[in-house]
Amino acid sequence: MERATKRINIGTEIPSLTKTAYMPIDPNTRNVIHTDDYARDFGMRGALIGGSTLLSYVVEMLYNYFGDNWIYHGKIKVSFIGGGAINGDVVTAHGQVAAVEPEEAGDRITLDVWLENQTQDKVVIGEASCILV
Amino acid sequence: MGSQENFEAIPIGMDLGTFEMILDEDTVRDRTDLIQWQAKGPAEKGFAAPGITISQHARMKFEALPEMKVSIWAKSEQEFLKPMKLGSKIFIRGRVVDKYVKRGRNYMVTDLETVDETGEVLMLSHETAVYVE
Repeated sequence: MERATKRINIGTEIPSLTKTAYMPIDPNTRNVIHTDDYARDFGMRGALIGGSTLLSYVVEMLYNYFGDNWIYHGKIKVSFIGGGAINGDVVTAHGQVAAVEPEEAGDRITLDVWLENQTQDKVVIGEASCILV
Repeated sequence: MGSQENFEAIPIGMDLGTFEMILDEDTVRDRTDLIQWQAKGPAEKGFAAPGITISQHARMKFEALPEMKVSIWAKSEQEFLKPMKLGSKIFIRGRVVDKYVKRGRNYMVTDLETVDETGEVLMLSHETAVYVE
């Protein structure tokens, strides 16, 4: 597993993480965007995978790279775009180093992050950062 | 009351209540499985995977806003400050901090804070979601 080091260059792409998106469909869910019928009426391809689940795929990629630093110094800010993800989509989390700035506790590494599906459509975009102690 | 009237009636500052959760083995395993978290690091150190409690945030909104039918994340910001220890009890507190209408859709902005039993802040969240009745 490739981990962040204190020598890191702008533009470096960190190891990506691919998963087959999945969320059990509960017909009794309060949030009906997670049911096929409502989601299709809403213009989606089917029951949407929850945003927190998609976010967790990106967070795991960041944890893999930053290790326990992420638990103490991780920040992420994302937007959900496009048509989201449905069960069976193959989604890949990506991150690319955008900045390295010194802070009191260590260098804060900022990355552009995104999650894209099997047709390379981005469904999550944003920024994440973590201090390397 | 109609949909727009209900949305307009939501007060800025509305308390979403406090949700209490014990991070016992079953709870952590269920949530870890749900997001397909593979990284072993957190569990080996006695920590829950970062972010496994975030899906609870939407449930708190549904509890507090019985008219709400759908909540779709538009934006999510998460700051990780301390680990959530396996077996510990955590508390999530939330409130509505803003709301607006954009392109005919209602958006609600919430702040949530996750703390441990000593009141230590573990995670800060700032989330914007489409609100539909």
